[in-house]
Amino acid sequence: MVGSPELSLTAAPVALHCLSNYSFLRGGSHPRELVAQAQLLGYQALAITDECSMAGVVKAYLAARDSSLKLLIGSEFQVPELGVVILLATNRRGYGQLCRLITTARARSKKGQYRVATADFLAGLENCLLLWRPQDDKAVADYGQMLSEAFPQRCWLAYSRHYLADDAAKYRAYQSYHQQSGLPVLAACEVRYHSAERQPLHDLLTAIRHQQPLTEVVAELLPNQEYRLRSPAELQQCYPADWLAAAAAIAGRCDFCLSELCYEYPAELVPAGKTATEYLRQLTYEGAAQRFPDGLTAGVREKLEKELKLIAQLRYEYFFLTIQDLVQFAQQRGILYQGRGSAANSVVCYCLQITAVNPDQIDVLFERFISVERDEPPDIDVDFEHERREEIIQYIYRKYSRDRAALAATVICYRLRSALRDVGKALGFSEQELSHYLRHIDRRDSETSWQAQLQQQVPGLTGTARGRWLLELTDQLRGFPRHLSQHVGGFVIASGSLAELVPVENASMPERTVIQWDKDDLETLRLIKVDVLALGMLTALRKMFALVSQHHQRDWDLASIPTEDAKVYQMLQRADSIGVFQIESRAQMNMLPRLKPATFYDLVVQIAIVRPGPIQGDMVHPYLRRRAGEEAVEFPSAEVRQVLERTLGVPIFQEQVIKLAMVAAGFSGGEADQLRRAMANWHSTGELAQFEARLIEGMQKRGYATEFARRIYQQICGFGEYGFPESHSASFANLAYASAWMKCHYPAAFYCGLLNSLPMGFYSADQLVQDARRHHIVVLPPDIQHSDWHHQLVSLQGQLGIRLGLRLIRGLSGKTIVPILQQRPADGFSSQQQLRELGLPAAELQKLAAADVLDNLSGHRYQSQWQSLALQEEQLPLFANNNEPQQALTELEPPREFVDIAADYRTTGLSLRRHPLALLREQGGLRGCKTATELRGCRHQQVVQVAGLVTCRQRPGTASGVTFITLEDETGLVNVVIWQTTARQFRKPYLTARLLKVRGIVEIHGEVMHVIAGTLFDESEQLARLGMRTNRSRDFH
Amino acid sequence: MSKPIKQAATNAWLYLHAPQLLIDYQSALQSAEQQQQPQALAQSAGAGKRYLVQANQAALDAGVSAGMAEVTASTLLPELQLRDYQGWREQQVLQQLAQVIYQDVAQIALYPPQGLLFEVRSLLKLYGGYAGLHQRLQQRLQDWPVRLVLASGYSPLSARLLAEAGQQSLCSDPQQVSAALQRLPITASGLPAAQIKRLQEVGLDSVGALLSRPAAELGARFGKAVTLYLAELRGDYLPPQHYFRPPVKFYQRLDLLSEVSSWPQLLFPLKRLLHQLEVFLQIRQLSLRGLTVQAYHRDQPPTKVRVNFAHAVWQQQDLLNLCQLQLENYQLIHPALELSVQAGALEPRTATAGALIGDEQHSGEPGSPTTARPLGELISRLQARLGAAAVQVPVPVTDWRPERAHQYHPWREQQATTRPASLPRPLWLLPEPQVTELRRWQLQWGPERISSGWWDDQAAQRDYFIALDEQQRQGWIYQSEYGWFLHGWFT
Repeated sequence: MVGSPELSLTAAPVALHCLSNYSFLRGGSHPRELVAQAQLLGYQALAITDECSMAGVVKAYLAARDSSLKLLIGSEFQVPELGVVILLATNRRGYGQLCRLITTARARSKKGQYRVATADFLAGLENCLLLWRPQDDKAVADYGQMLSEAFPQRCWLAYSRHYLADDAAKYRAYQSYHQQSGLPVLAACEVRYHSAERQPLHDLLTAIRHQQPLTEVVAELLPNQEYRLRSPAELQQCYPADWLAAAAAIAGRCDFCLSELCYEYPAELVPAGKTATEYLRQLTYEGAAQRFPDGLTAGVREKLEKELKLIAQLRYEYFFLTIQDLVQFAQQRGILYQGRGSAANSVVCYCLQITAVNPDQIDVLFERFISVERDEPPDIDVDFEHERREEIIQYIYRKYSRDRAALAATVICYRLRSALRDVGKALGFSEQELSHYLRHIDRRDSETSWQAQLQQQVPGLTGTARGRWLLELTDQLRGFPRHLSQHVGGFVIASGSLAELVPVENASMPERTVIQWDKDDLETLRLIKVDVLALGMLTALRKMFALVSQHHQRDWDLASIPTEDAKVYQMLQRADSIGVFQIESRAQMNMLPRLKPATFYDLVVQIAIVRPGPIQGDMVHPYLRRRAGEEAVEFPSAEVRQVLERTLGVPIFQEQVIKLAMVAAGFSGGEADQLRRAMANWHSTGELAQFEARLIEGMQKRGYATEFARRIYQQICGFGEYGFPESHSASFANLAYASAWMKCHYPAAFYCGLLNSLPMGFYSADQLVQDARRHHIVVLPPDIQHSDWHHQLVSLQGQLGIRLGLRLIRGLSGKTIVPILQQRPADGFSSQQQLRELGLPAAELQKLAAADVLDNLSGHRYQSQWQSLALQEEQLPLFANNNEPQQALTELEPPREFVDIAADYRTTGLSLRRHPLALLREQGGLRGCKTATELRGCRHQQVVQVAGLVTCRQRPGTASGVTFITLEDETGLVNVVIWQTTARQFRKPYLTARLLKVRGIVEIHGEVMHVIAGTLFDESEQLARLGMRTNRSRDFH
Repeated sequence: MSKPIKQAATNAWLYLHAPQLLIDYQSALQSAEQQQQPQALAQSAGAGKRYLVQANQAALDAGVSAGMAEVTASTLLPELQLRDYQGWREQQVLQQLAQVIYQDVAQIALYPPQGLLFEVRSLLKLYGGYAGLHQRLQQRLQDWPVRLVLASGYSPLSARLLAEAGQQSLCSDPQQVSAALQRLPITASGLPAAQIKRLQEVGLDSVGALLSRPAAELGARFGKAVTLYLAELRGDYLPPQHYFRPPVKFYQRLDLLSEVSSWPQLLFPLKRLLHQLEVFLQIRQLSLRGLTVQAYHRDQPPTKVRVNFAHAVWQQQDLLNLCQLQLENYQLIHPALELSVQAGALEPRTATAGALIGDEQHSGEPGSPTTARPLGELISRLQARLGAAAVQVPVPVTDWRPERAHQYHPWREQQATTRPASLPRPLWLLPEPQVTELRRWQLQWGPERISSGWWDDQAAQRDYFIALDEQQRQGWIYQSEYGWFLHGWFT
């Protein structure tokens, strides 16, 4: 037997080889479950050793942080010629070596895979321990000596027993390996899940991994439940005492904790001879001189100093400097950007040009900058123009190199739909059965659990064992990580090689790499990421600014737009907000006339309040009543007043809820932070429930009424993951205001800028153009003789109008057409033949003809196309003239108007001709229907009939059973409200009509006007007769 | 029109289009109550989107239509039963339909998935024009409640387009056909979708508009395919048709000339029939695995006996032996007047590879009587005597539960070969574990823990040991929550 010191039999056990579910489809338990079970069983140490991965270790660290359980960090590798190798880090350097190995192994393969060979283990792992499960005799003979030399006193044969038929043979084999190689043996149980009940799920994961039904892969399943964490007694029964003792000794040699990792900032940001603190101070005051040309007021200076002190105290200078560097680059390149997040709303960020929010407004809004008490990393997201964000990303890679910068990961987890599908398939259900079940689950129904819904709708399901397993295992699988994906834009930048801090692997997007941790992991370890995000509205705004500069000779930017312009707010109060950032959706537009925003802060509230969180928490109506003075604003205490005063006693922002928990229920900063995390993912884990008692008792103890306490808790639950932080809302409000201001003062530039930035936002080009025309802006059709690729502003009798560009034409390539437009003679092209001779491919010419932009060149749509079709072959110059068949230009009948309209929509997505509804009305197809304009003259409760193209069907997750349908006619939009019973009664028109006629009752509340539908008629047949077949509606997105 | 339609066409064509063929066929097999259920067939359009292909009348009445997205349809009509559309199944149905009509029409071309083209010039004379032919077909299809459209035309394509457009028209006047054709929208032209789109874009939105353009101009713009299409439509060009041939079958019926009241008496005439069968098979180099013998009675429905063979045979002697064995089990209740032998599903004679018993039987010349495989023959005889299900072989399967590590399957000529995992398992596994007591045993090795099978409600949780009893016999015993059991013997 192995010579190891005698240890008492009662020594607490260690687990040296545990796979969590971050060894995707191999491990059957969450890291936190393994940690909790190990604690329960009295383990002294537990190693998380996911296969070539560190993705699960931070989760385990978080769970073990406040306990006596020692967490060991390691990783398992399947090495073709060796067998299974487990590496454990003994210290920080060993951890770095391990991360580098994983990075190297992952870099050799495509996303999600890795490749290692024996040579990888022979050098560069001096601070790691190696546990080896040799493949066979030959592996020991060939490599035993090599490994033993590469890992002197650091290499063991890892014996694991699972009560299988070959136990005895295996035991003898390990003894022989030992004699053969001299390597010591230790007991290292292979753990795949934390407790025996997970065997079914583990079997199922095996089936999913093999993409076959469970009954087809029985040979691959483990024969029993002995891959769980065993109790100390079970372990003693299973292994020789000295092998157990050898394992326990291993734990003593590992002395590394993830808390040792600290972020080392890129040093090159600070010039030599200066400290980061000094340099940040210098930049801030240089910026302040620009931002405040008249000098700093005492108040601002005091705030600035306070912030700088706080930054120095928490050592966040580099973080601000990193972002300052990025925005500086963006400024040089003329890329519009805006910072947001809790830390962004500071005077420092304003001075560093990270944000454009005036600190006068900040002062009113935020008492919170970075909280020392809560010790959470600073949060700054920077949005860049969506068309140019890639330039920023390339800059980061260039400046810091790929070795030092990578994206954070996003863990893609099983959700109900994917879990049910995978579990179902493994249990042998057919695709159709599963689709059938999924159709019967209404995820918007928050009152009935999905299991209960299924049991109601498919009564026979739980009558069989298979059906019960389907429900049970689906529930277990939900929330299991499935694979790593890339975060939308969170970069981690290190001072040295990033791979020493955390393994880096390939993303599915070429040339992108991701680290193995997600944003929660980074937050847990207080590592900092820089969020580089893309925002379409910034692109649009920059284009608007450029147009205004060109046509009005006025230079505006986000910081210089006049604030609190009454005309802008008047416009918004009329719900005239199509195209305006964030407040353009149907629900937001409904709220505008009710909330009547009159100040910037009203916009901040407006953006946050029309969200599922506040709506589900029933905060909207109290807020509106109080704002209208219909309800008294009361505060149970001065502390609560301080938190809720600015929102009239109703919690609307996430920060307020957290703050309430602190001031009213006595939560500590740390507890409040846990609450915030629980809110962020309560849907998947139900963690929130554990706070209920603490919240309510805390508040009761501080003298608050139980009813008040309950209401707060309910509001927190409603908030869930949808709560909107005030700081984000404020940044969005800034862009909402800026875009509204442009719409109000430079409408032509506003629409033109938006149209040139599509796709983005809520509305299509068609809807934007219609809105522009309703605002009396002349819009000219695309025309080969006048249009550019982009839409442009043109002067028409002293007024600015919009000439649509050729980019509108579907499938047309800018690369091909732009060089040809550059060669356009001053008096225009002379013929289609000329276009072809300039190098325009026949297919592109046909697209131009189909889009009717050749009208000035070769006549109406049919004629132009007939001609373009004759020019399709690449013709030899010799025949070119012969083949221009002048006599073949038989005159074709021009298309009828509705044909042209339909073709416009088909080729460009919009039409400047008459609206189809105008045509139908003229033909008498809509007798008795009021237009959108006529509707405004109707009185409350009047019975009316309206008709229009369905442009949007929306069923908010909020108000139960109601659907909003937007109808469009030649004069504008009509909002229709459909209650569930009506929807059911007229199911077909409700779901499928493209032209909908509605008989109903007018409802007027202030400036809001709806038609409450009573009867629905599908009139799509009339459209079909016009030849219009395309569906333009955005349904239930 | 630029070119007159060919007069006195050499051929006349009739096209049958059954737009809902598969679902109609499936409905016909359902009870009246089931037919009232709305049902539809759906198929995938890629990217997770599915749409309806066919719907039964109940579904159509409820507002569902072909082409509708599956999601929309099932929201509209939650009780809608959806099945996968299976093209191969529809093709089979089309084959069957062709076979039925083959009794009246000799020249049938299959146009999968839902069409049949008939060349009917000679038939028009036979049945006295389209009305007579129509009547004949209606009679023939009495048992086929399938919604169908019949259209005649002066070219295969013209008939097809009219039928597919749902225009039931049976007339021999080419002018009428031509007029109906010209009214068809271009979307019903049968041209590829991309081509149709381009024609629409220049305002050619009907077949008539297309025919009115000079062929040269069209050819220059839309290519040769359109020129060819027009020729085919006009009947100027006749693409070769692949006519349907019914599958090969043997059927012979023999008048016994006197009443026969027992099977042995039938043997002689049967022998004759089987000899004819052998000749039939020999000419075609075919063999068979089963046949149907029918005895016809005076006033009773015929007695029908299906004889199956475990291996392919073709010689009269083999056929007779096997039939004899099987027929002995049947009582001939009524005297027989006639006897028939029918055989379908014929297969080519190929040497079948792979066998349970070694290769030495393949020594003989292929096709000679001596190559008949004794085991196969034996099994055929056993099955003939005892019924096919009575002859079974054990097959090893992988399952950790020992009692499920093998299964019995009916004997098939070619067995799938699976290898069992090599585990220490006793030679003799008891059919049922027997209760035992631990004190009778001396444990030698163990435990092997088996805890598996949760998925089929027969989960086992056992610790197995190899142990010696008082007589030093090596047994396989296990402990479960119910106590100790003996499960097998090693010696």
